[in-house]
Amino acid sequence: MPHKPGESELIARITSDDPDLVMPPPDASKRLTAGEIELFRRWVEQGAQWEDHWSLVVPVRAELPKVKQSDWVENPIDQFVLARLEKEGLHPGPRADKETLIRRVTFDLTGLPPTLAEIDAFLADDSPEAYEKLVSRLLESERYGEHMARFWLDAARYGDTHGLHLDNYREMWPYRDWVVNAFNANMPYDQFTIEQLAGDLLPNPTLEQIVATGFNRAHVTTSEGGSIAEEVYTRNVVDRVVTTGTVYMGLTLDCTRCHDHKFDPITMHDFYAMFAMFNSLDGNPLDGNKKDPAPVVKVPSDAQKKQLADFDAQIAQIEKQLREPWSEVDPLQQTWETELLAALKTAEAETAEVKSSALTLGDWYAVGPFTDTKNYLFSRKHGPEGKPIKLDQEFTIGGGGKGKWVRHAEWTDGKPHQGLPGEVAANFLYRSITSPAAQKITVSFGSDDALKVFLNGKQVLAKNVSRGVAADQDVIELALKKGENHLLLKVINHGGATGFYFALKSVEASLPKEVVAAIRVPAAERNAEQQQQLRDHFRNKVSDSKLLKAAQAALAKARGGRSAVDRQIPTTLIFRETKEPKDSFFLRRGEYDQKGDKVARGTPVALPPMDPEWPVNRLGFAKWLVDRKHPLTARVAVNRFWLQMFGVGIVKTAEDFGSQGSPPSHPELLDWLAVQFIEDGWDIKETMKRLVLSATYRQSSRITPEMFERDPENRLYARGPRFRLDAEMIRDQALAVSGLLVNKVGGPSVKPPQPDGLWFSVGYSGSNTVRFVADQGDKVHRRTLYTFVKRTSPPPQMSTFDGPSREACAVRRERTNTPLQALLLFNDPQFVEAARALAARTLHEGGPTDNAKAAMMFRLCTGRHPTDQEVLEMVQAVHEDRAAFEKDIPTAVALVSGKKTADKKDTAKKDAATPAPNSEHAAELAAWTVAASVMLNMDEVITKN
Amino acid sequence: MQPIQDYARSITRRHFFGQAGVGIGAAALSSLMTGQTAQASGGLPGLPHFAPKAKRAIYLFMAGAPSQIDLLDHKPKLNELFDKDLPDSIRQGQRLTTMTSGQARFPLAPSKFKFQQHGDSGAWVSELLPHTAKMVDDLAIVRSVNTEAINHDPAITYICTGHQLPGRASLGAWLSYGLGSMNDDLPSFVVMTPSWTGRKDAQALYNRLWGAGFLQSKYQGVSLRSKGDPVLYLSNPPGVSSQLRRRMLDRLAKYNERTFVSLGDPETEARIDQYEMAFRMQTSVPDLTDISNEPQHILDMYGPDATKPGTFAASCLLARRMAERDVRFVQIFHRGWDQHGNIGGDLPDQARDIDQPCFALIQDLKRRGLLDDTLVIWGGEFGRTCYCQGKLTRENYGRDHHPRCFSVWMAGGGIKGGVVHGQTDDFSYNITENPVHINDLNATILQCLGIDHKRLSYRVQGLDITLTGVLEQAPVKAILA
Repeated sequence: MPHKPGESELIARITSDDPDLVMPPPDASKRLTAGEIELFRRWVEQGAQWEDHWSLVVPVRAELPKVKQSDWVENPIDQFVLARLEKEGLHPGPRADKETLIRRVTFDLTGLPPTLAEIDAFLADDSPEAYEKLVSRLLESERYGEHMARFWLDAARYGDTHGLHLDNYREMWPYRDWVVNAFNANMPYDQFTIEQLAGDLLPNPTLEQIVATGFNRAHVTTSEGGSIAEEVYTRNVVDRVVTTGTVYMGLTLDCTRCHDHKFDPITMHDFYAMFAMFNSLDGNPLDGNKKDPAPVVKVPSDAQKKQLADFDAQIAQIEKQLREPWSEVDPLQQTWETELLAALKTAEAETAEVKSSALTLGDWYAVGPFTDTKNYLFSRKHGPEGKPIKLDQEFTIGGGGKGKWVRHAEWTDGKPHQGLPGEVAANFLYRSITSPAAQKITVSFGSDDALKVFLNGKQVLAKNVSRGVAADQDVIELALKKGENHLLLKVINHGGATGFYFALKSVEASLPKEVVAAIRVPAAERNAEQQQQLRDHFRNKVSDSKLLKAAQAALAKARGGRSAVDRQIPTTLIFRETKEPKDSFFLRRGEYDQKGDKVARGTPVALPPMDPEWPVNRLGFAKWLVDRKHPLTARVAVNRFWLQMFGVGIVKTAEDFGSQGSPPSHPELLDWLAVQFIEDGWDIKETMKRLVLSATYRQSSRITPEMFERDPENRLYARGPRFRLDAEMIRDQALAVSGLLVNKVGGPSVKPPQPDGLWFSVGYSGSNTVRFVADQGDKVHRRTLYTFVKRTSPPPQMSTFDGPSREACAVRRERTNTPLQALLLFNDPQFVEAARALAARTLHEGGPTDNAKAAMMFRLCTGRHPTDQEVLEMVQAVHEDRAAFEKDIPTAVALVSGKKTADKKDTAKKDAATPAPNSEHAAELAAWTVAASVMLNMDEVITKN
Repeated sequence: MQPIQDYARSITRRHFFGQAGVGIGAAALSSLMTGQTAQASGGLPGLPHFAPKAKRAIYLFMAGAPSQIDLLDHKPKLNELFDKDLPDSIRQGQRLTTMTSGQARFPLAPSKFKFQQHGDSGAWVSELLPHTAKMVDDLAIVRSVNTEAINHDPAITYICTGHQLPGRASLGAWLSYGLGSMNDDLPSFVVMTPSWTGRKDAQALYNRLWGAGFLQSKYQGVSLRSKGDPVLYLSNPPGVSSQLRRRMLDRLAKYNERTFVSLGDPETEARIDQYEMAFRMQTSVPDLTDISNEPQHILDMYGPDATKPGTFAASCLLARRMAERDVRFVQIFHRGWDQHGNIGGDLPDQARDIDQPCFALIQDLKRRGLLDDTLVIWGGEFGRTCYCQGKLTRENYGRDHHPRCFSVWMAGGGIKGGVVHGQTDDFSYNITENPVHINDLNATILQCLGIDHKRLSYRVQGLDITLTGVLEQAPVKAILA
């Protein structure tokens, strides 16, 4: 009933006195206020226009608004911002000075402060393009990708442990490096999205594209004893759906797991349709507490790839040599062939057992009878069974008697031997068999009565029978190793006579069939395959030629080397689809065991449909996300980039673009940026460039009290951004300005020192991350991006400064200001070390006078030239402290060495400090260390200005 | 005169107090920053919702799930049913962990420990808790607490943060957020993780159990450590004396004041305050942890472990010292209660760790008049099964996880002493009377502290999230004073 509130059912309901009719119902926790009811009434009166929620409408490029102060405008961003300011009767602030600007933009694009040389070059460049050139240089730096990656890794909930229960190590850092590389290569955001959600489903995916799919494996996992796999599976899939919804669409899908969304047009059906997209992981939902729960992929480094290739080439070369004619070896083969053929013929002719010329059979030894134990048949206690054979060993055999091994050279093969001692007894027989190569031979046994046979300590035959001895009662194959083999027989007699029989079966039996077949073909008539079979057999199994041995040893070594490299290759968790998609069900109340109807794959109905051309799987889903008709993806992405630069997004709730999120401060600007982003081909660097080139960004961040009252969060942008640096930036800056930072991109996560016991105080005792062991050397000075994140006990340098634990998706961080931060920046041994290194650097590079030194330290930390007053104060402070330290050299030494004085050595702190200088310089260095520590704590230094 | 600073300060205050929950992000009101006069500061406007019975709370958390059948939930009938199968009528198809779901049978394991009735209330208490038994008339014992989670990680995350998955704010973070702090010089939420003497293979803890989740990180619990710095990075580095640190702070303040004058950002002023607070903590925390002035009879009351740093007894003593200093919330996580086997061997050790210190803490608080407005809670994340896991004898047995019922006790501010609430069946398997969900338990805790659990919420992704979840929960009236 537009325009007629008196006839409106809506108005009637919300104003009703009848408890059965009134909405919201009386038992609801929330009531409409009179003001709200009036608002409804006016809305109906004015026509009850209904529009879809802004973020679900495809963005269109808005006209650039007209502005008065058009000379301030650098690019279209400014036109939107200025139009709003002018509407509010406000003016933009002055431009930030060049020193402030280079520090701000260097932090925003690389996460690091500018070097003095970079600042000087920028200050010296008076050209109009100086700033743009600076921005282009920063975008080309590898530091850019590292910086951009860490925001993404918060969203992707990347960590180095499973995150639940045991919280063991989980190897996924190749995914982290993929993200860094993707940003550095300026991979378009649509591609970036497709590869992470569905890289494995692309045609002929590259290794990198497969690594990218780790995005959907980065969620926390468990293998807690007692876990129900189906429940864990459901949780894992829910995390994928919810995280994908938040990161790409700013949708709050978690609600729709249990019920249709109360505020946004997303239904429970939508949720389980997306669940069906992400549920068919070809792997166990329980992680097995392994670093590499399937599916995973190996990700060799370039060096490893080269090593593998080198080994492969070596192996191929030796294999070729072993296959081809070889003048030194081939005559030996001919001899062998002749002999073998003769032997085969003899064997056939005589049908007698023949000793293989290749085998050396040692004489028989025997020990026994073992009679004491009633159950000797099953007793392993008394004889040599299961133990290494030592021919000088003495045994207790029966009636307290002792027995030793006795040699029986007279026992020839191929006929039964009676007359082993004892009536009810076990006798052990032993001989060695030496073989030139690993090979299988066939042997024949007989026994009176039962028999056990062990080859090299391993039981290969057990016959619990009663019988008289005869030939060929048991014919078995023995797998000989190269060299000496140990054959042990246990003959058990239940009564009467006892004996045994042993024979090698025919030579033929010990040869592969195809070799026998080949050798029977006259040499000239053999085909290539037969020739090769004979050659291979001779060279590998028969010959003891030194040349061959050397080649084979080289081959073994190369293969060993290859597999050693292979074992070192890191793995990373990836997504791989099961052959058949798993069914998805409607889960009542979101409970894994409350299955309802089957739900087919799909996308939320309130959003534009998928193109029928696309496959209905993750790949189609990813394409759908980055289709230009999708209203959310580009907006959500550019909003996060804006948030990075300006501290607050155009939509403040970067994680919620729904009706419960905050509305955009500048809707047309957001849409303009989103459309431009798409039209630029989802070019992230171009977008970042656009943001930092705007006049809006380049304003001074100075605030007047009036402006602070008017716009405390700077949502109108009448000033430049100013806020505390993030955790990573604060630590990276300290390492950078002190000269400690090691700029190496990628690789396994590192463990810079942290206080003892943090992991141990919470960790499961059986976890492989229960004890923290700090790394040493370069690893402790890497960028914080590379610091190992144990998710149940994240590094304090991160968590103290609002770094998330990476247990769940986080698309923005809070910024707090606490005393624990002050304690950390003053007292963390890594920051003390950085102060010391900064002091040493200043003393070394700062010039001849204390004033020059102070100025340099000041510039390193703030990026600006200090005032005379600031220099004076620092120098005075240094002099004051130096005088105090000179009177107390041990204290100075303690500070510059990082060790407490001798009387408290038991609590000495360890760090990777520069070695202690001699005590004459200790006071000097200590005084400057104090100055450096103060600098590293300054508000101006830990803030982007 | 510093007109700009003064103005900005006043703006800042107005901003924070006027728009708490929205604008509080900007700033100075850390959980650590508050009035020295036990006047809470930093909390939300309108809180507490009503006059609180307790100003502070101490939560003695038995991580791993103590066996209620061997401690507080006496089941004599099981004696007659030794090694008989758990009737299906009792199990009712209840899901089991995969540690015992494959067992061929579920033989009943009566407790080997003797129970007696104690106090005016006549509460049954096991011989393993002789000291606890002496104070039953101060306690409300709830035997009908229940949860849905059946494994440790989800269950302990659930009871500590209201949700089985990581990402939510913990109870203590909610209290800091809602009520603020009462002490200028100490954190308002302190956590201790003492040693234990049962099985060494103990269930893990997770920082999230005292984390801030979606709330600002300043509300997270601060670990009070027994080795190294009691609070991370509390002590100055070698070579930096307290006097030198003072000089450094003065110089830093001077720089920062200058930054403030030139840029006008109130955050800068807030930072100066935070540095001053850090400096005060360097004195107040060592003062807190230095027990050298505790008289011998007090130490004796807590038992022989009281002077051993890092024990549960020492932690309880520190908890009392924190209560005296108006620390809002102290949580002690004692591990080692996950007895899948060897209850006969391990449970007595675990009980010995905690029994006397719990008693001493209550007596000590009472003597100082602090028990009236200090809530003390004792309990774990779920219960244990009446049937045996692994080998069963009269003398030794193991018990698997049991979410359907477990026992918790509460005492102090807001709680009626000498009450036994809730009843389980003869098997301590199902609740027959007055079930108390863990969310009800948390609602009760909030109630004692003056908070309506439905009205303390925080908007995350469009949802007004509370500690106690979306289903109807209520404080347990029967145990409230």
